[in-house]
Amino acid sequence: MTHHFFLLLRKDLRLMLAGKFFLLALGSLLFYSLYINLFYAKTDQDIYPVYVYGTHHTLPKNMDAIHFTNSLEELNDKCMDGYSVGIDASGENINIVMKSSDINTIDALRVQYAESFLQYPGRIDEADKFLSNFREPEKLIKNNSLELKNRREITCEFLFFELAAVGFLGLASLMFKEKEMGVIRVYGILPGNVWAFIFSKLTLFVVSDLVFCILLTLINVGWKPCIAVLPAVLVQTGILSMIMSLAGLLCSVCVSDFRQFSLLYLVLAIFVTTPVFLVGQTSVKLDWMLYHPMYHLFMQMKGAYFSSVTSGFVYYAVCTAAIIVLLCAVYRAMQREMAKEG
Amino acid sequence: MIEVQQLTFSYKKSRETLHGLTFSVSDGEIFGFLGPNGSGKSTTQKILTGILKGYGGTVHLMGQKPSNNLREFHENIGVLFEFPYLYTNLSALDNLNYFASFYPADRRRDANELLKKLEFKMEYLKKPVSSYSKGMRQRVSMARALINQPRLLFLDEPTSGLDPAGAVLFRRLIEEERNKGTTIFLTTHNMQDADLLCDRVAFIADGEIKALDTPNQLKEKNRLMSNDNRESTLEDVFIRCTGRGLS
Repeated sequence: MTHHFFLLLRKDLRLMLAGKFFLLALGSLLFYSLYINLFYAKTDQDIYPVYVYGTHHTLPKNMDAIHFTNSLEELNDKCMDGYSVGIDASGENINIVMKSSDINTIDALRVQYAESFLQYPGRIDEADKFLSNFREPEKLIKNNSLELKNRREITCEFLFFELAAVGFLGLASLMFKEKEMGVIRVYGILPGNVWAFIFSKLTLFVVSDLVFCILLTLINVGWKPCIAVLPAVLVQTGILSMIMSLAGLLCSVCVSDFRQFSLLYLVLAIFVTTPVFLVGQTSVKLDWMLYHPMYHLFMQMKGAYFSSVTSGFVYYAVCTAAIIVLLCAVYRAMQREMAKEG
Repeated sequence: MIEVQQLTFSYKKSRETLHGLTFSVSDGEIFGFLGPNGSGKSTTQKILTGILKGYGGTVHLMGQKPSNNLREFHENIGVLFEFPYLYTNLSALDNLNYFASFYPADRRRDANELLKKLEFKMEYLKKPVSSYSKGMRQRVSMARALINQPRLLFLDEPTSGLDPAGAVLFRRLIEEERNKGTTIFLTTHNMQDADLLCDRVAFIADGEIKALDTPNQLKEKNRLMSNDNRESTLEDVFIRCTGRGLS
């Protein structure tokens, strides 16, 4: 199987090169990076305003992403909108202050965001232990500027979009090319294995997505923050890339022509990713969003960019199950396609 | 080489496509499988090539069920599809070398030699398949079917898209392969191909074999049954067997 896998891998690579896939990916990388560096990083919007009480007299003056309050009462008042996040650093322990938005994942993201200003990438209880070793309050907050926050956010969004929509389309276009030529039927009578056929495509797309992720993060977040977040981001990228590649493969095998597929792609792009971005990036509340699988994938990706992945066993178990189910569905669909009439 | 007993098959939610086919093909025989569209020819061929599973009855090829060792089975067969199915962005040589690399090295034939034998225009050897005529694509497709020196060769409309000279060449090549000991399962609408090439012919209609014998015997039986003094053709036999023409 290994020999056949590498044969298929080389052939798929040639098809991808012929289809100018890598050129398009490079173009996307360039376009995203230019947009981030020339425009978005400089915008002064802050999605979750962060208020701090207790350390402002010792903080550097250029901390434009955070706002200081003069009292604990003021901090509490500012954080009553269900949107802002407060850091109470007046005591020995740091506390996150906020009013719940009634959506757990959004609350988790607000906490993650506030935590990203702290010097350690960890949780509150760990912070208590960590902070007890320090007496100097200026070390409580790292220089997580508004620009860096913007960079993390938009890089995460572009990566998610690239994987969810563009990657999905890329693999499907490769598959449609082979379908048009009819060569898929030939694999039905070759000594190779259907799994090798699926895994060669999957490997190429996942690897190219991982490389894309590294370059995009490195260029737009900066190498120091990039190194800190990259392992977690790569894990989330791998999961999303596998799910989307398999979904793209499945749709392209099951749908008969590219026109039908384009319609499916539009539905995916408009009705699937738009509400995810809307809820994930703004204060818009949609209760049903908790049942939207892409929303969780997006929030985990965002958490990874802010060094605070909150996912546990259930999340990874569901993702693994989804990948296995998709793999089996693709296998069956591929077998059916190979047995079709000319 | 091929032993089929009471073969049945039905696609989901539709009526049975094959109703208990029984036939056998000897080593080194050219066996013609003829029938109109939708008669069950392709379904039978897909079962024999190991693509379709879930059939009823028994199928033995080269002494075993295809599903027992599918990989070894596929190493021993060659298939010429009704359509060429080639990578159009690659050249003839690249296509053949790519597909050949799926087979063990000691079974592979030289792609260049095969193409020469098929009178392929060698100036197109390294040009992409997208620039080839239908006949040239058919030649590359035939070369692919032969690249692994198959013991059992499935040919679906081998002379389709070829000019008369090309058709003669293909028929000569098929004879040559048979002389080397290759068994050939030929599916066609072309009565001339079946008459000239096949040792025996089976007519299939509505998922049943209506007649099976040598072409000459079939024609003779038909002549006697119709009380007609003129010589029968295979097409006459088919019309008599099925009540309709080959379409």
